Amino acid sequence: MAGKTKMIKIINKPGKYQFILDHEGQELEVTGKFSLTGKQVGRWDVEIIHAAPNTTSKTNVKGVVDGSGRAFVNGIIKVLSSAVGTEAFLEERILLVSENAKAEATPNLEIETDEVHCSHAATVGKIDEEEIFYLQSRGIKSDQAKEMIAEGFLL
Amino acid sequence: MSRFAPIKPSKIKAGSLESSYKFGFHTSTDKYAFKSGKGLSMKVVEDISSLKDEPKWMRRNRLTGYQVFKDKQMPEWGADLSSIHFDDIYYYLKPTNKEGKNWEDVPLEIKKTFDKLGIPEAEQKTLSGVKAQFDSEVIYGSIKKMLSDKGVVFLGMDEGLRKYPDLVREYFSSLIPTGDNKFAALNTAVWSGGSFVYVPKNVDVGLPLQAYFRINSPNAGQFERTLIIADEGSKVHYVEGCTAPAFSDGSLHSAVVEIFVKKGATVQYTTVQNWYKNVYNLVTKRARVEEEGRMVWTDFNMGSKVTMKYPGFILAGKGAIGETLSMAMAGAGQQLDTGSKAIHLAPYTSSTIISKSISKGGGRTSYRGMVNIGPKAHHSKSKVVCDALILDPQSRSDTYPTNKIFNSDVTLEHEASVSRIGEEQLFYLMSRGISENEAGKMIVQGFADPLIKKLPMEYAVEMNRLIDLEMTGSVG
Repeated sequence: MAGKTKMIKIINKPGKYQFILDHEGQELEVTGKFSLTGKQVGRWDVEIIHAAPNTTSKTNVKGVVDGSGRAFVNGIIKVLSSAVGTEAFLEERILLVSENAKAEATPNLEIETDEVHCSHAATVGKIDEEEIFYLQSRGIKSDQAKEMIAEGFLL
Repeated sequence: MSRFAPIKPSKIKAGSLESSYKFGFHTSTDKYAFKSGKGLSMKVVEDISSLKDEPKWMRRNRLTGYQVFKDKQMPEWGADLSSIHFDDIYYYLKPTNKEGKNWEDVPLEIKKTFDKLGIPEAEQKTLSGVKAQFDSEVIYGSIKKMLSDKGVVFLGMDEGLRKYPDLVREYFSSLIPTGDNKFAALNTAVWSGGSFVYVPKNVDVGLPLQAYFRINSPNAGQFERTLIIADEGSKVHYVEGCTAPAFSDGSLHSAVVEIFVKKGATVQYTTVQNWYKNVYNLVTKRARVEEEGRMVWTDFNMGSKVTMKYPGFILAGKGAIGETLSMAMAGAGQQLDTGSKAIHLAPYTSSTIISKSISKGGGRTSYRGMVNIGPKAHHSKSKVVCDALILDPQSRSDTYPTNKIFNSDVTLEHEASVSRIGEEQLFYLMSRGISENEAGKMIVQGFADPLIKKLPMEYAVEMNRLIDLEMTGSVG
């Protein structure tokens, strides 16, 4: 498996996902994307378990929440004591497009050994006014500008 | 264990815990004015209340607390608390009958303890006021005359209740209700000691106020209760230090701290926690911050067997600011579960949580935090940064952040990283002729430095010294 990155894409499919890296040198890349509108509620549970040495994982979940949608993103990286030399990264980015959109982002880490490099990042925010202004100054209506920015966010 | 030596599991030697802890001495409890029996019952709670000759409402409050404590389950998350034996703990230990205003009034044996800890000396040099608590009671208190003339109140909580019953009744338990959690309920039932601070409008208490908490008896429970009210535009820095003797039986420390930061006021609350490594430290701390107010928690945890502590702030007024700087260092047999809670209720509020943790020798540190931005808190900002350093393969580090956002007009950032001391950093320093141990210490100190800088100078020096002591011979 060494040197070969396994890519997994989860597009608009809420649910529970668990990935176990149990071969030495395994590499995994998980990309999750979603958009919620109206009264949609989406819940993602992503668990990455590093059980073998020198494994690498990169997890990236991005979502746009519109209307009065609610997003719950719960990610966890577990590094077992057997998994020395682990490198893991977990990223959760959520864009709230409407006033009533809500989000909960929980990026957890559980590290049981020392020779690791793990990090995570989470952001929840809204569309930058300046980005909308820029597009408007190019003759694009604000609603459409928001749509374009949201679309670009998920790319 | 050197990183450049063959890897073999390090064993924790029996007795190795005591070696580096210099506050492990204790005083005999024979001369105590009052000792409650072991264990908790309604009678113990009633006895405490009658001994203190309290108003009726406080007695009722205590009994409600006792009931809630009995009814609530032990928390199922976080650290393992199963080895706390509530029946073996002494809930009320009164070392002396009165609080001294001069160190001469303090019974000799107790005074000796505080001399060894360097409190009277520090008081003269760098503090505005001091409270010293020995087991259940505050045994010494002082405040600079200049401040008391301005109306600053710095009393033991019991005295505060006697002198300002209405003020205490208005605020007591209003921020951390009895049913907040099992240990807050326990504290409400058997609280004794702690500080009562009131700072009048626009008064700046220049030098810090310090409270010093000392557990002296084996199996002692210390349940201090602190209430700080900073009126509009005032400024105060409150520091608490904690140590305990080296007993084999565990003690329980469960405090409740409520802080009210009024419009435009600033409160900094600093904890330097260095309990002996058998103490269960389960503490609830919360601040309510009004318009343009600012609350800073500087929370340093080095000692204790188990710590579960999440100082929080409720940002209730427009433009309120909350900041937590938290550092934890866990060695063999220790689990430090710390973090912070930021609740944004009003617009334009901002919170910053910076947490650094170091685990070594099989210790475990966890960051557990929550950021909650409510529907009315538009234009609010929150930033959380957690960095963890793991020094050997037996140690463990976790990060459990929860971010709940109920408003689109906010920015929230969260970052965390976990790593060990970089090989290159170590190599660089060693190539300059610094030994591996020294290099490791320097790196750990550099890691903690941004937080230590926020402490007053004397405490920063003490913290650096503590880290130095903890790190000796442990870097691998």
